[in-house]
Amino acid sequence: MRFAHLSDIHLGFQKHEALQKIEQQVFERAIDECINRKVDFILIPGDLFHVNIPEMRVQKFAFAKFRQIYDAGIPVYVVYGSHDFSPVSNSVIDLLAEVGYITKVTRATSLDNGKIKLDFLVDGKTGVKIAGLSGLKVGKDREYYEKLDRESLEGESGFKIFLFHGGISEMKTDSGMDGENMPLSLLPRNFDYYAGGHMHKFNSQKFDDYSRVVYPGALFAGYHSDLEDNAKGQKRGFVLVEFEDKIKNVEFVEIQNVQYKMIQINAENRIAESVNKELLEKIREIDPAQQVVIIKVQGEMTSGKTADVDISAIRDELNQKGALVVNINKNQLTSKEYSITEAKGANKEEIETNVFFENIGQLRFEQKNLLGESGVQLAKKLLAGLAQQKLENEKNADYNSRIKENAFGILGLDTDAS
Amino acid sequence: MDEISVVGQVVGGKFGDIIIRQKSGSNLEIGDLMVSEENGSYLILQVFALEYGSQIQDKMQQMMSGVNLEQGIVDAQFFEPEFVNYVLARIKPLARVYKEKGEVKIPKSLPSFFNKLRLITKDDLKFLHKEKDAIFVGYIRSGSKVIMEAEVWLPAQDVFSHHVLIPATTGRGKSNLVKTILWHVLDTNKVGALVLDAHDEYFGRQGVGLKDHPKNRENLVYYTPSNPPAGANRLTINLQSIRPEHFEGIVDFSDPQFQAIRMAFRKSRNNWIRDLMLTDAVDAGMESSSPSRGEFTAATMMVVQRKLRLLLSLEKDENGVIFSRHEVFDSTTKGLNSVEDIVKDIEQGKVVILDTSRLGDEAELLVGNIIASKLLQKYKDAKASGDLDRKPVATIVIEEAPRVIGVDVLTTRNDNIYSIIAKEGRKFKVGLTAITQLSSVIPRSILANMNTKIILGNEMKQEREAIISSASQDLSEDDKNIASLDKGEAIITSIFVPFAMPIKIPLFEDIVKQKGIQRDTTKTKVF
Repeated sequence: MRFAHLSDIHLGFQKHEALQKIEQQVFERAIDECINRKVDFILIPGDLFHVNIPEMRVQKFAFAKFRQIYDAGIPVYVVYGSHDFSPVSNSVIDLLAEVGYITKVTRATSLDNGKIKLDFLVDGKTGVKIAGLSGLKVGKDREYYEKLDRESLEGESGFKIFLFHGGISEMKTDSGMDGENMPLSLLPRNFDYYAGGHMHKFNSQKFDDYSRVVYPGALFAGYHSDLEDNAKGQKRGFVLVEFEDKIKNVEFVEIQNVQYKMIQINAENRIAESVNKELLEKIREIDPAQQVVIIKVQGEMTSGKTADVDISAIRDELNQKGALVVNINKNQLTSKEYSITEAKGANKEEIETNVFFENIGQLRFEQKNLLGESGVQLAKKLLAGLAQQKLENEKNADYNSRIKENAFGILGLDTDAS
Repeated sequence: MDEISVVGQVVGGKFGDIIIRQKSGSNLEIGDLMVSEENGSYLILQVFALEYGSQIQDKMQQMMSGVNLEQGIVDAQFFEPEFVNYVLARIKPLARVYKEKGEVKIPKSLPSFFNKLRLITKDDLKFLHKEKDAIFVGYIRSGSKVIMEAEVWLPAQDVFSHHVLIPATTGRGKSNLVKTILWHVLDTNKVGALVLDAHDEYFGRQGVGLKDHPKNRENLVYYTPSNPPAGANRLTINLQSIRPEHFEGIVDFSDPQFQAIRMAFRKSRNNWIRDLMLTDAVDAGMESSSPSRGEFTAATMMVVQRKLRLLLSLEKDENGVIFSRHEVFDSTTKGLNSVEDIVKDIEQGKVVILDTSRLGDEAELLVGNIIASKLLQKYKDAKASGDLDRKPVATIVIEEAPRVIGVDVLTTRNDNIYSIIAKEGRKFKVGLTAITQLSSVIPRSILANMNTKIILGNEMKQEREAIISSASQDLSEDDKNIASLDKGEAIITSIFVPFAMPIKIPLFEDIVKQKGIQRDTTKTKVF
């Protein structure tokens, strides 16, 4: 017997048309692979979709594919992920469940003593017992786990699978992954397989009382950094598990997505001109045709503004050469000349004023009103203008134009001239 | 002052050793706090010795006793006995409190001669009040009487960055005190703590513990090597986190052995312990017959392997994978981020308890060393970048402190991270909370740097002397007082309290009963 475990598919995440196509193709290939390999059932512990109600284009191809799985007689068991979760069952997940293409696993009862009892769902064909909890947005799921009636879950006999969506501290592979991880001990013990979602890199580990905890990782990309990881060689796919009364084999099935070219530039202690020169040299060394090009510039430059690193010319040149998508990441690029010095103050306003005064001396503009005391006053006004909250019942578009007009007014600019 | 409350009267003595006559029936105790009212201020004084006084000569008294004992005259009594025989108490001034401003100053003058004294009351201690982000340690104690309304709170930031010493022998309430302190540390995020819990007694795996604090979910992190209770973390440190310098001052390696370790580290920075353990010294051509290669000898290599094996409880399975018997150290992919995570938690003002009960002495210190080194480095970096003000003060709670800051350790080995923190941590807001039975083996230079001492009972004279000579207040007359401290009684001496304060530490179980987490029986909606 075998089952497939996919997670973090994030359908609907991509905004670029070329990447949207890849997102769809990868998903369809993965499902085809599951059907071809004749799996008994499929597990998807969360973030099948990037939002609870994705655009119609996404729903269309997703429904078509799930119909195909349904016709092949393969049950799909899911829990909500942090992205496609809806507290009022207002998610496309619920729609798919309603028509019978997928089955939501969570069967919870809140007991009088405050505990949460989870019932098992039994797969008709294999007799496998499945339980699970959704991943919520605000870490509320931790409360679920703390209140879980663990004895009934841990004492159940038979081959058991637990679906969950959330990071496990013990399985972190990257020290940068902070915040929402929970200790493994919150999961109920003694299940044969823990099907995890939320962590975007494949990870399969064994622990005492937790015989196999697995994250297949994202199928393609659900965060912007996933594409960068892909370019660095991160394999994407799903997990195929063979079992009888115990797990026999856990195999990672790779699903190819697209070709990448990665260019990394270290700008530490350099000037913008030299960084631009290296960028140009490097992009001329590669053939970007039909490839996703990821460019990462990082480090602290000795002088110049970070905006002096000219990405638009680079982007144009790569696009002309037929690059599928060009992604340029300058988030970790700073400049000594323009680094922000912090300042103290007794209250928020005083801190803001002092920070502006500390830093305005670094700027070199021809417009004198942007410098010195007048520059500080202007910056304060602009900050206050931009910090205005949306009014009750105000539409987004109205809010945007109000803020924009206000900001232009503060800067003394004509709105039409923009 | 009404006559009923009078317990004695100043009859002589000198500054620091004032003699009062006890009023009959008052029953003064060692450690009793009393008050002498003066113009505009009052003196707080403390009894440090008691003796008999009499208007009748010694020989006469002895003869009286003879009449009683030998002649069977049982009802022989002194005429007006309470007038003739009495108790003299020797007292010392602790503080002068100025009524108007509520200022507390070190006293520099005697109480008025013949002044009548009364026992201290809660109204005399109004100057003790909780300041923001303070930690509670106990109630003011006058002899064995506890003044429940007078709570003693210490300023957390100052106290922890200037190091805390808790000297006590077994059974005097050390762990109760540490739990009480940590309980109040959990109230806010102003203090981060790394607790090396060698007896796994603070979290409360069985029975009550810090897990019962209402803010445990936000501010308490518990790591244990095996079978973690729901919500706790598994303590796994990847061998990659260990660097040669972490052994310094903790493990006794000879120079050639250290050289072998450094060589292994240079060859493979990440997997040096695994590679070193898997190296066959003889096959690798490191026999003693070839010293010309400039390598260490096979014997040295084998000693290093043996020491590491014992220290880290390492074994090799049939696939050649190194693992540790107590599961704390891992050579594969587990625990790669544990150290980083723990340090981050401390930086966020959380209390991190490491259950090191399954580790040997040296392994426990090594784990602490790895984390404390990283923590100190991060705080140093924060100071360099001007961010230190934003960080909470951090403290490292370590039991049997002489293992790392004892005079023999410091003279025979290099400095370890704990001694470095004791010497310079204050500048970087990192302090030690050192618990010890043997203060006398900690060098005076370090003892003097520990600016808060919470002294529990200690029957060993040598230890009392070490504590007294390094106290922040003059405790030269308190030797007997310290010796007679009962379980849960303590004296706080600190540069952050106006005088050496006698306190009674409440029972931790009572604190949990009053303030502990209530079981949540509300129903939860599950999606």
